Amino acid sequence: MTTYLVRRLLGLAPVLLAAATIVWIFVFLVPGDPARLIAGGQGLDPAVLESVRAEWGLDDPAPVQYLRYLGKLLRGDLGVSYIQRRPVVAIIREHFPPTFILAVSAVLLASAGGILLGSLAASRTGGLTDRLVLLLAVVGASMPVFWLGLMLMLLFAARLAWLPVLGYGMEGAVLPLIGVRLPELDHLVLPAVTLSLVLMGSIARLTRTGLIAVGASEYLLTASAKGASSARVFALHALKNALIPVVTIIGLDFASLLGGAVATEYVFAWPGLGKTIVRAIALKDLPVVEGCVLFLTAVCVLVNLAVDLLYVWLDPRVHYGGAAAA
Amino acid sequence: MDRERSSTPHARVRRIAVAILATLGTVAAVLQVLACGRPRQPAAAEQVLRFRLREDPPTLDPALANDQISEAVVLNVFRGLVEMDPGTLEVRPAVAAFWTIAEDRRTYTFRLRDDALFHNGRRVTARDVEYSFRRTLSKETNSPRRFILEPIEGAREFAEGKSAAIAGLTIPDEQTIVLRLSRPFAPFLSQLTMVNAALVPREIYDDPARAYLRAPVGCGPFRFSRWEQSNFIELLAFDGYYGGRPALDRIQVRIIENRESALQEYLAGGLDSLDEVPNHDDALMARLGSEVHEYPFIGTQYIGFNHMLPPFKGNTALRKAFNYAVDKEYIWKALGGYPPANGIIPPGIPGHDPDLPGYPYDPAKARRLLAEAGYPDGKGLPPIAFWFNTSEGIRRLAQKIQADLKAIGADVTLREVDWAAYLAAVEGTPEQPGQAQMFRFGWYLDYPDADAILRPLLHSSNWGPAGNYFRYRNPRLDALLDEALSLPDPGARAARYREAERIAVMEDAAWLFLSYYQSQTLFKPYVKGIVHSPLGEFRIPLERLRVEKGAA
Repeated sequence: MTTYLVRRLLGLAPVLLAAATIVWIFVFLVPGDPARLIAGGQGLDPAVLESVRAEWGLDDPAPVQYLRYLGKLLRGDLGVSYIQRRPVVAIIREHFPPTFILAVSAVLLASAGGILLGSLAASRTGGLTDRLVLLLAVVGASMPVFWLGLMLMLLFAARLAWLPVLGYGMEGAVLPLIGVRLPELDHLVLPAVTLSLVLMGSIARLTRTGLIAVGASEYLLTASAKGASSARVFALHALKNALIPVVTIIGLDFASLLGGAVATEYVFAWPGLGKTIVRAIALKDLPVVEGCVLFLTAVCVLVNLAVDLLYVWLDPRVHYGGAAAA
Repeated sequence: MDRERSSTPHARVRRIAVAILATLGTVAAVLQVLACGRPRQPAAAEQVLRFRLREDPPTLDPALANDQISEAVVLNVFRGLVEMDPGTLEVRPAVAAFWTIAEDRRTYTFRLRDDALFHNGRRVTARDVEYSFRRTLSKETNSPRRFILEPIEGAREFAEGKSAAIAGLTIPDEQTIVLRLSRPFAPFLSQLTMVNAALVPREIYDDPARAYLRAPVGCGPFRFSRWEQSNFIELLAFDGYYGGRPALDRIQVRIIENRESALQEYLAGGLDSLDEVPNHDDALMARLGSEVHEYPFIGTQYIGFNHMLPPFKGNTALRKAFNYAVDKEYIWKALGGYPPANGIIPPGIPGHDPDLPGYPYDPAKARRLLAEAGYPDGKGLPPIAFWFNTSEGIRRLAQKIQADLKAIGADVTLREVDWAAYLAAVEGTPEQPGQAQMFRFGWYLDYPDADAILRPLLHSSNWGPAGNYFRYRNPRLDALLDEALSLPDPGARAARYREAERIAVMEDAAWLFLSYYQSQTLFKPYVKGIVHSPLGEFRIPLERLRVEKGAA
């Protein structure tokens, strides 16, 4: 297992190099003069523009700029934002926690709700509950998150006034040591529920399919015959085995959400990383785009690794780093 | 046996499912209690104004601020020697208690107030003025608006690194500063009202770590408190403000990009002011009633023609035909646009000419002019690329212009691109014109003087990327603008600007003249002391506002 872990972590380096190169080439080719965006506005003095280009190294040939960029990366320096004029690392540190909190909340809600609905549907295969759950799953997966967010906002915030319309809140607690401010809980509800409703459908459908497939297995009867309680049989034998494909999809969803739930962040004015990247792309704030994409690439690889490791716990037949178990 | 085996796990599933459902229900109930228990409004005793910005300010450094979003915050934290009265548009004292102008109209002597304090408690002195001006001018700062100080003798040499001092800046004593200009320059005081001439304390702004970018310190009516990117900026009343402590205790600037979400937040009471109105929803507009504030804004929207590229190059008749072909009234009333423009200088600015005929909608005349231009019914006129930056509102405008031009026989293809690509296509290089043949643009005046729009956009000295993207050149217009700069009499200056405008509009049809901007803002009825400023919705002096919820 240790060898496997080390191998996977070492595999991160070429992935990051490839991502860095591809992103750099793409943003370099995007039309527009970054110097003008750094200086801001129209009708600028050409001398100011020249000075900006020199200050930021934008007048160097492309290979020089690329090598300088790679050199900084090796030192852990993701550069400085053209627009905000502060380190990209600081920008990620500020915007990733809200995205992480939203993604975790949405995935937890979606997992709980999806597994529950999938279990209910599996328990009444072909019945009304099953059909309703399947219908809800399709509707949930088909709804544009932007529209769903606005509808939930109109109902629960504008009409019923149960929840705040938007925002992260201004007075949430600050976590000691890391200095991350948590959202106010009521501000988290609507964006998290919006995202979770979209994810819940696929989780419910996969849980249902998995449980139906596992329900016919002999080992459930064996476990019951050995005296295991019904709850234990369901949780440790039926559900646990049915969850392997569900965990895969949850892992993928989670990794995708960490990249930023842009539409949700946009609707609910959530100060997350997705919105930050989209804005940086629009403004051609290249260091921010490059830094964030690299960071998210690393996060995706790590989340996938975590999901792979979870398989070992869920299914003892899965084994990494040596001969396969029987 | 089979039946028993399959039904037993299902029963278990149901029990577990019910347990999960109960747990989720409990969590939801707890969330609901938490939500209802949290106060949504500021404490009643505190006067708090909450308004929205659609994005984070690109900067809070006054030397670098070059956009309305940055100015919305910076203007409340900083002050300069003089300031523009947001209502009357007159220059009035700020940190300078008074000033005198010598007979040669080149020497300005400012006497500073004794009671002006920075937010760190230190008194503002003439040394701070010198430091701030040097900072804005210096190469290291790269201020996009260093030009506002360049009329000072020696300022350009200092900015270019050719001189260690600004020759025209002297400090006779700690509370007096003398500025000597290279030549008489009538708009100098107006330029000094711009935020880039604001005063900053050296002990804060000499910081190599640039902490001031996230924690600005000025001497304005509000001091900076907090900034959480993409979330909010908070300002607090400055007790030591020389103009008296503002009535508002706190300003919360909420960063909300989505227009619809911001509107819902305003309607739900989470905002006291909103910089966009729902003019697409007549019923809601009627319900909002007096909460809708509409007032002129000193800016002009236009379609630029590239005078270096065919078919507009040297073809005045074609440019006039396009002007007559577009229904500006329809754009204003049906598309939620702005009032039609008859020229360049917007109302409220000395030199604006209400009697300028302009180009009212006249398709028949447009067709005649198109034929005169060499393209009867559009025959022989190749498709023209019309560039604009991505925006739903601008797209609607562009589609209407495309349809109007099609009606007279001119084919226009729309090129919608992001801002960076748009600027590249429009500006070109000093040597080469951009590839855009026609393009939509708008210009907000930095200060209320006709020179602030005519010179940057139409004077040949700003040819190319410096502002005159159209590559328009008319020596008579240049001469009139140059002459106006040195005239002491405001009436004589205004006459020169009217004449210059008449040349660009009626003789040369330099652009397609579309509209004069308007500000549209929502304010809750309990917000009092609102001054409608032609300088823009974010130039309403917040130190004069009061939040009187009991009076609403």
